[in-house]
Amino acid sequence: MISLQKNSKVTESLQIVQRLAAILFLGYAALIVLFYFLAGEQLHLRESRGNMELPAADSGTVELVFDSAVEQIFTMEIQRLEQIDVQWGTYYRPNAGTVLLELVDLRSGNELLSAAFDAAAITEGGLTTLTAEKPIEGLHKVPLLLRITSPDCQPGSAVSPLMNTQGELEGGALMLNGEPSTGVLCFAVRGTDYIWTGLHYWEFAAAGAFLLLAGLGIVSLRLRQGKRSYVVNAVIAVQKYRFLIRQLISRDFKTKYKRSVLGMFWSFLNPLLTMIVQYFVFSTIFKTGIPNYPAYLLIGIVTFNFFTEASGMALSSIVGNAGLITKVYMPKYIYPLTRVMSSVVNLGISLIPLVIVSLVTGVQFKKSAVLSLFFLCCVIIFSLGVGLLLSAAMVFFRDTQFLWGVLSMIWMYITPIFYPESILSENFRFILRVNPLYHFLKNTRLCILDGISPEPAVYVQCALMALGALVVGALVFRKSQDRFVLYL
Amino acid sequence: MSRTVIEVSDVSMRFRMNSDKIMSLKEFVTTAVRGKLQYQEFTALDHVSFEVKKGETLGLIGRNGAGKSTMLKIISGILKPTEGSVVCRGNVVPMLELGSGFDFDLTGRENIFLNGAILGYNEKFLNAKYDEIVEFSELGQFIEAPIRNYSSGMLARLAFSVATVVNPEILIVDEILSVGDAQFQEKSRRRMLELMGGGTTVLFVSHSIDQIREMCSRVVWLERGEIKMYGEAAEVCEAYEHQ
Repeated sequence: MISLQKNSKVTESLQIVQRLAAILFLGYAALIVLFYFLAGEQLHLRESRGNMELPAADSGTVELVFDSAVEQIFTMEIQRLEQIDVQWGTYYRPNAGTVLLELVDLRSGNELLSAAFDAAAITEGGLTTLTAEKPIEGLHKVPLLLRITSPDCQPGSAVSPLMNTQGELEGGALMLNGEPSTGVLCFAVRGTDYIWTGLHYWEFAAAGAFLLLAGLGIVSLRLRQGKRSYVVNAVIAVQKYRFLIRQLISRDFKTKYKRSVLGMFWSFLNPLLTMIVQYFVFSTIFKTGIPNYPAYLLIGIVTFNFFTEASGMALSSIVGNAGLITKVYMPKYIYPLTRVMSSVVNLGISLIPLVIVSLVTGVQFKKSAVLSLFFLCCVIIFSLGVGLLLSAAMVFFRDTQFLWGVLSMIWMYITPIFYPESILSENFRFILRVNPLYHFLKNTRLCILDGISPEPAVYVQCALMALGALVVGALVFRKSQDRFVLYL
Repeated sequence: MSRTVIEVSDVSMRFRMNSDKIMSLKEFVTTAVRGKLQYQEFTALDHVSFEVKKGETLGLIGRNGAGKSTMLKIISGILKPTEGSVVCRGNVVPMLELGSGFDFDLTGRENIFLNGAILGYNEKFLNAKYDEIVEFSELGQFIEAPIRNYSSGMLARLAFSVATVVNPEILIVDEILSVGDAQFQEKSRRRMLELMGGGTTVLFVSHSIDQIREMCSRVVWLERGEIKMYGEAAEVCEAYEHQ
């Protein structure tokens, strides 16, 4: 009788696991394909790490008249060369004539690019840009010559390319009218590099699918043998307590705005009002100069508000439900989980003003905006991890809530919510780098405001940070949960 | 067909008690540094073993602080015993304190679903039994009102109705037969007997020896965390009354 019941239980859970495995696998395949199309070019190419910046100009080279030439030899580590800028001085006078920019491959002597510019249109400190119609490949670490000449400029009305007299280029040389000279021409080189993982995207996808299948196979095999792994237990628990979780979420949600006139409209209004206040404060008192500041601000506010709300609610979830925990048995992780999930509902509502404000202020939603959901999921998982940790800590030390109040305020200031990250000096950049919320926020903004996807490695990095927090939180919670009852 | 559904084997429960409860980090650190972090061990249960067969109604009696409630909490999974183990075969519905999952801002209807979910019922079951619950609770139109406006009798009736609508395999009852007016008490007593007749295994705690004698088949008498007597209801009740 007992073994019979056990068998039927195994079959039942086997069915659940099989159904879930099918969903998981199809979902994985769908996401992989979707991601491929949404990520677009950024999957394969990134801004080259070998890009050469414009040196600071401190001198002119020569007055570029019809028989003079400025030549800069250089090598670069860019896989696909796209453009070269040259900076000019005008002697602060109107000039006339034509200047010619040429790029030559020194191995073969072939001319790669050339363009003529009207000297009259050049301003002091202005740039002329040599653009490749199609990115030129195969120039990685190849000696190149940038030659600047003029067919017709006259002394007295000629421009001059700027240079930095202290600069030095490895493997480079500057020649003014054929004479070797110290210093570097003020020029910048930009291009893109291939991303190795992006080029092998489908191989990675297939490997992931294989790992997933293998994992699922092992789980179901173990289940058939009557052993229950941790994964299966978690799945069954979620299945079993789904209704309870839903009830608790709807309870949180209903009671939150129960006696207020506007009700759940507040979820919508709150981030919007905060944004408006901060917008006026920061755009009038402190000039920020961020393009599309309202949308920039609102993304920060919505994300960070979610984090503080979810972690704050989770913090008190165990202590606040003491009456229930000491009377009825249910898995304790349900309390912080439901608190975080009801904050997710709030987050969903506050995305509506975000979309409206973005549209009104002229953000063009590209397909990459969908990818921002990935980073929002990272924020959710991260908040859940932090919430589990806090809720467990709160049981043993009630000081946690006050500490967390201070900590979350500090956290708010070290996350670029209302200021641009560029105002932090290089010495403080490390604070940003170790702050997971900064990474989530930055990439959400990149996907929505700039309309491009970050490179593939960033996705992995963010997912690891979020899952890391979840694992730490879950382990601490699991280890201490049996002692909760004794301290409540 | 009388298999064992609850097996309590050699269960001990010890609490660590500080002389005064340390609730903050500062207190903890200062007392720990001063080396005054002393714990007093308090044994609530001391190597208790018994088992309950299917369909049996087991009574737990004993004076205040004898460990009855701790025992029930261990069986329903709320507490983990320090030593020993408890095996339950079947779903356990604990009725330790009625209405502990109620939210006072929600209406009676919403609370039926919330409390039902907390007790482990599923959605289909609650939808099917909803009318039955409302009818049993005799709340009528008040079911749509927020329960903060309920009288304590109404609350108790609602809670009892939700808790007993199910036919659980194991029911754990801690002093809940004294809810509502005399009429409702009689009704709830009948409902309990009905449940017991339906093959439910019941663990029952009460201070009323008459109730125990009427409802239970076997009784465990706990005193200071140990089993003082374990046997037929009439016998144990007799001894308990004449101690």
